[in-house]
Amino acid sequence: MNIPADLRYAENHEWARLEPDGRVRMGISDYAQDALGDIVYVELPEVGRTAEAGEAFAEVESTKSVSDVYAPIAGTVVEVNAKLEENPELVNQDPYGEGWFAIFEPGEGATLDDLMDAAAYETFLEGQP
Amino acid sequence: MPVSPLHSFHERLGARFTDFGGWTMPVQYAGVIAEHMAVREGVGVFDVSHLGRFAVTGTGATEMVRSQLCNDVASITPGRAQYTMALNDRGGVVDDIIVWRFAGDDYWIMPNGTNFDTILGRFRDGAGDLTVEPVRDATALVAVQGPDSPEVVRRVLGSMPGRFRVETGTFEDHPFWAAGTGYTGERGAEIAVPVATAEALFGAIVDAGAEPCGLGARDTLRLEMGYPLWGQDLDEDTTPLEAGLEWVVSWDHEFVGRAALERQRREGLPKRLVAFETEDRKIPRHGHALRGGASHGTVTSGNFSPVLERGIGMGYLSPPYDGASVEILIRKDWVRADVVTPPFIAR
Repeated sequence: MNIPADLRYAENHEWARLEPDGRVRMGISDYAQDALGDIVYVELPEVGRTAEAGEAFAEVESTKSVSDVYAPIAGTVVEVNAKLEENPELVNQDPYGEGWFAIFEPGEGATLDDLMDAAAYETFLEGQP
Repeated sequence: MPVSPLHSFHERLGARFTDFGGWTMPVQYAGVIAEHMAVREGVGVFDVSHLGRFAVTGTGATEMVRSQLCNDVASITPGRAQYTMALNDRGGVVDDIIVWRFAGDDYWIMPNGTNFDTILGRFRDGAGDLTVEPVRDATALVAVQGPDSPEVVRRVLGSMPGRFRVETGTFEDHPFWAAGTGYTGERGAEIAVPVATAEALFGAIVDAGAEPCGLGARDTLRLEMGYPLWGQDLDEDTTPLEAGLEWVVSWDHEFVGRAALERQRREGLPKRLVAFETEDRKIPRHGHALRGGASHGTVTSGNFSPVLERGIGMGYLSPPYDGASVEILIRKDWVRADVVTPPFIAR
């Protein structure tokens, strides 16, 4: 299971990365894409949508089921990965790269500090069924 | 929970498992879409040992079998298989079933796994002097499916049953029972062997080039063909006429449920199956609300079609609806879908 050391992780298996410009890029973890199976549809929000940390703001659908995707940080969606519309399989192929979901402008005072680091997420996954 | 005699073999192949009708069965190995395409373009092999199977033999077996089932087994010659159904008195589908007719009065009845005890009980009640004997626990059942399946099956068994033909023979000094049937729309064979030779058979089929496939791909494959799944598209409150499966009903004989079907033919159908495809990747799912004109209903099966790369599904509308498009409530939006005649993919 690939868990890059430079990312932060939420309990719902989203990852988040602080970009040099202070924005936060996010997607779902390798564990999540593997558990979902073949991803065939991703529903992304409109740019400008705001979300609280932990709020469902996108959906990912595999041949098996539909799952909510939760905002790892409070803020405003400033960019979404439009490629996923035609190529949702990018989430399976490259969950931390080409398969990213959205970029957030963090809300007032919002930080990634409440999320797990790679070591903590790895420990967290050991407790998953 | 029962497992297939091939369970540990699947574990070694890296399968993921699911609970299917009380059985722990492989849902996928490499991935649903890769397995689906292997069957459409090459060849795949499924373990379907959870499917029910019992033998009915003895003088008069044909008369008993044909009275229980709405298609007519007397209309096929020995050495052939038939798709049929067991109905209740209301014409509702108790199960959809494949019958293998080996000889004049020598049958295997193959109900869905979930309905095995129900159908077995029904045949035992009507057995009289006939022998009704379960064969599921003593055997494994595998399905080799795909355009390249004849080559694989010939290499393993020495011969390939024709479409809806039944064959027997020996594999590794043990018997096999096979038919040119399946649930994918592709050429294929379903092969039963004693538990003792199950791993040898599955292994030989994989070694001959078949991709191991799970029940996930089996479901998307059958859906692309518009084949119904009992428990979703068929149930005891749905008749074969409502399901668009009148071809499965043979009117030349008496069978349980016939009077109810005749009444429905006279008086009209309260609901009818409709099949549809979405314009994009919005995917209808079992349980979604469905509407067309003034008709309402529910999606009974829906998924992503790997071949069409769009959503496909079917469901019932009441009263029956003849329009060109329907709408499906996918989460919060009513999504338009074109009404189509199955199969969804070109055959």
